[in-house]
Amino acid sequence: MMPNVLINNLPYLLKGALVTLELSVVVLIAGNLLGLVIGIVATSVGRIGQSLITAYIFVLRGIPILVIMLLGYYAFPALGYRVPAYVAVGVAQIIYVSAFVAEIVRSAILSVPSGQIAAARSLGMRRFSILKEIVLPQATRIAIPPLLNNSLTAIKQTSYVSVVGVWELTYAAREVVERTLASFQIFLGVMAIYFIICYPLSLLARRWERRAAVVQ
Amino acid sequence: MPMIEIRDLRKSYAELEVLKGISFDVEKGEVVVVLGPSGSGKSTMLRCINLLEEFQGGGIRIDGEAIGYTTTEGGKRRRRKEAENAKLREQVGMVFQSFNLFPHRTVLQNVMMGPLKVKGIARREAEALARDLLKKVGLLDKADQYPARLSGGQQQRVGIARALAMQPKVMLFDEVTSALDPELVGEVLRVMRQLAQEGMTMIIVTHEIHFARDVGDRIIFMDHGAIVEEGPPANILANPKSDRFKQFLRRYQGDYLDT
Repeated sequence: MMPNVLINNLPYLLKGALVTLELSVVVLIAGNLLGLVIGIVATSVGRIGQSLITAYIFVLRGIPILVIMLLGYYAFPALGYRVPAYVAVGVAQIIYVSAFVAEIVRSAILSVPSGQIAAARSLGMRRFSILKEIVLPQATRIAIPPLLNNSLTAIKQTSYVSVVGVWELTYAAREVVERTLASFQIFLGVMAIYFIICYPLSLLARRWERRAAVVQ
Repeated sequence: MPMIEIRDLRKSYAELEVLKGISFDVEKGEVVVVLGPSGSGKSTMLRCINLLEEFQGGGIRIDGEAIGYTTTEGGKRRRRKEAENAKLREQVGMVFQSFNLFPHRTVLQNVMMGPLKVKGIARREAEALARDLLKKVGLLDKADQYPARLSGGQQQRVGIARALAMQPKVMLFDEVTSALDPELVGEVLRVMRQLAQEGMTMIIVTHEIHFARDVGDRIIFMDHGAIVEEGPPANILANPKSDRFKQFLRRYQGDYLDT
């Protein structure tokens, strides 16, 4: 009788999983893109710009995701805007993720030895060309594993949106548990679903690791 | 008109003045060797010529064109546009102590980088040029290797080929053999000697005094950011005038007498 509780409620949970998946895709794409831009800008602007970006990264990294979630949820009403909860928390998640991505991108770019940039400049290469031909290809190789890792974290922390009442997998699970009181079975099932969502990315990270090792 | 004209070149880092008014000319086809202890400013001077370093006073002209800065009628100094400076850098080839090859590109791609991405010439043409140059430095068989698979001497020869691919008017060598094992120095110097014989205008910063005497048309000795002595190698090495140059030569005399 016990596993039946999970099986009976599986369609409902999978509907939640679909929302989690949608939210993850949006947060990953927007968060990584925003972070990429911030990271690249951080390495090519003057001191004031750098300080601003450093502040952005440090502040966000120093805040728990849960607090960011709540802040995002209350920020829009406080500023006089009415937006749906899922938009507010989605934006908060994107900004949060972008800070981590920016830091990874920034440090990967800075890890390219300055001698190579001097060599490229001495050939007469322009800034954009140096970034495209010399810096980014090498920085990408360095940044991919931590970026994939970061993306896994980002997917999992979408579950925090449930605390402000946004309906997705974790929220759906809590509803089912309240109804059935079969907390253990349901959360075991939810665990499996999260794992299945994350597994392809984990595999990708491993495969990239192997590929990078071959190139070296 | 000299190929390179340096007038009262001055550079400081905050309070520290590292170049205290350097002036000299290099004629077309001339090979000038710059000697000096570390910290004498010779590498910095070289990097200024290629505008890898900014400088605060004086001027540098390559083939009559002012590098980095122009001075208006009223004597006001203005930095040239980045695009103009990039254009000027194309005419000056530079080879570095630490090679600085692009590790994610093959030897051939390293040499093709300038012609393809700066001059924008056709790939086939760039490849033919690059293969020619690799042949010249004796590394045609390494064309498809990545730099990490090459010895230091081979990497440095690729560095020379990469700089030559831009068909520069002037070549600058910044202690290009200092990071090499002794047995690999010869192969790099051989390529440089050949370039000198072909009439390339060169400034060479080095500690290889024997090479300086053989290949240099003129030697400049720098110390503490200024030129202390200069002259034809035979004279200046045999009869150093200043104590500082004597001392310098004594320190490197081992190398000098060996060869």
